Amino acid sequence: MPSLLYNDMQFSVDPSGDRWDITYNLPNGTSALAAAGLFPGLAEADAAIRALALVKTIFPVGIKSVGPDVTHPNRIGDLKIVGPDVTHPNFIYWDKDSVSSPKTL
Amino acid sequence: MEIKGSVALVTGGGNGIGEAVVKHLAKAGAKVAVVDMVQKNIDRVVKDIKAMGGEAVGIQANVTSEADTARYIKGTLEAFGQLNIAVSCAGIIRDGTMLSLDKETGKVSKKLGLDKWQAVIDTNLTGTFLTMRDAAEAMVNGGWPGLLVPISSVNKVGQVGQINYSSAKVADALMPKIIVGEFLMRGIRNIRCVAIAPGYTATPMLTGMNQDALKAILEDVHLGRLVAPEEIASLISYCVENEALNATTIEITGGLCYPRGIAK
Repeated sequence: MPSLLYNDMQFSVDPSGDRWDITYNLPNGTSALAAAGLFPGLAEADAAIRALALVKTIFPVGIKSVGPDVTHPNRIGDLKIVGPDVTHPNFIYWDKDSVSSPKTL
Repeated sequence: MEIKGSVALVTGGGNGIGEAVVKHLAKAGAKVAVVDMVQKNIDRVVKDIKAMGGEAVGIQANVTSEADTARYIKGTLEAFGQLNIAVSCAGIIRDGTMLSLDKETGKVSKKLGLDKWQAVIDTNLTGTFLTMRDAAEAMVNGGWPGLLVPISSVNKVGQVGQINYSSAKVADALMPKIIVGEFLMRGIRNIRCVAIAPGYTATPMLTGMNQDALKAILEDVHLGRLVAPEEIASLISYCVENEALNATTIEITGGLCYPRGIAK
């Protein structure tokens, strides 16, 4: 079962019959399934390559700032009031691997 | 189109109607992409589908983001190699009347904020548009048979206190006519579009509300109970399998009526 380190996240690719599951470690020490029943019939090495490509898409490297949506203020006269209940994820993507991510498996 | 072996993407798939749709389709043999804002909900649903023997991938995303939309379409294709069914369940409410009056003066004391308007339009309308657009792009370029399912609401007819929600949902209900008309114009024959307009549904939001208020709502429902999310999921499955259903919006309300018995 190949193990992947990407963006400081630990993943493992586990066989499930003729398919593969991808699990990842949570900060609390438990793990969660990122995907189940993928890549039917693929060999371990090929499944690991496909899994790495998939987790890079699912968990992109970047900065997520969550806060008030300043582009949609509620205006009352000259006042701009930004509602606190608006979540405005502003995600910045880039393609480079983090320092901990292997260039190749 | 057969559900077994097809690939479905469901936004808002981490709870409520979306979760029911994801599980129903997975049980019927579809491979599913669970898209939601809340990672722990995604993890729970993917785990449940694995326990059912199904195939699933979970993708945390915000449907109002064009970049996120492109990412969950790409993730679905990387996981399963194709896309056949896209269901846009992600939605929010930010209720309030357009104007509120001061009881003593009768003058306007408060207006519905643009933040409440825009957040609902962004999620319920723009989010649905982005998912439908990018899913259709993948289906056209891949040449796969497809079904687009915007989720509207019976409140598309206009619900007081929900000018934002009703405006978005009536627009969602229009999408099938426009999208399929454009497909015909462009010679795209492999993709259908059917919107679903649920009535009051037994999601955590409604079942957790004040029980007296819930009882009052149910007095207007001929069925006498809330619609189950699984019943909506079952309708979507039927839409997948029945290719004659196209370019329309189907209501599933249990017979929601105005107090004098006129069907809403």
